[in-house]
Amino acid sequence: MNSKKTMTLNLTDQEMRVLEDLSNQKDLSKTAILRQALRLYQLVDVKLAEGGKLFFEDQKKEKAELMVL
Amino acid sequence: MRSPIQIVDAATKELVEAELFDEVTVEHFLETQTEWRPVVVEAAKRMLESGASRDVLPRHFHWDWTSKGADLRILAFSFFGISAKGRLQGLMKLESAARSGRIVSQKGKPLIYVDYLETAPWNIKPLMKALGRGPEFSAVGTRLIEGAVRKSLDEGFKGRLALHSLSTSERFYLDVCGMTAVGRDPAKQNLLWCEFTPEQAETFLNEGAA
Repeated sequence: MNSKKTMTLNLTDQEMRVLEDLSNQKDLSKTAILRQALRLYQLVDVKLAEGGKLFFEDQKKEKAELMVL
Repeated sequence: MRSPIQIVDAATKELVEAELFDEVTVEHFLETQTEWRPVVVEAAKRMLESGASRDVLPRHFHWDWTSKGADLRILAFSFFGISAKGRLQGLMKLESAARSGRIVSQKGKPLIYVDYLETAPWNIKPLMKALGRGPEFSAVGTRLIEGAVRKSLDEGFKGRLALHSLSTSERFYLDVCGMTAVGRDPAKQNLLWCEFTPEQAETFLNEGAA
């Protein structure tokens, strides 16, 4: 696999709580959660740049477009 | 990453040195179009002419890896290939974001999704039978799935893995690899969703394909 670089990340208490909750829910380490977040961010960013749109569909099948900055 | 692996000479059953790699390039995609696709199409044509049932025809004759060139720069996608005897023997595209388990005990937990997996046509028995010869190598698909499971472990997904199987490959994933058939997916041409739990993935890696 590709070699990995180390970085220091400063999070607020709330951000760390969310990260820990996600880590528990997803059965993933905190590092793996952040790597997943980066992948998703890049994927969405590339698709939007190509003209794609991102929607969430609720239980009533109503769609809401998600804006990603 | 380049790892030495072994595949099997289908005629002599002897092990053959091969390489599993993740430095897949557009040139590999072009190789599938120039070297693989004409063989797949010719074999499918011969099968049709000989009256073969449509159920056994290759479902991937129209695949075009060159359309995936842009995906090479996206972190959520990764590609693996196997080369041996100077030729590309298999190719696989994985997704490592936005997919999670469907087995009840694995729901919501991320996994590696095998988006595409193809072995070179000269390694596929029914295709070579249609062309009047035997396959060259076996175990290419198994080695690719092993690579996908190792990717899952490397990502912290504990070996969790899933894919939608083409009908002609279901027996391989269920009986040979030991994956669980979770159900047909109406959102994906009713293909069968097959999944490895961490325990099944460990068994597959430790004990090999059945």
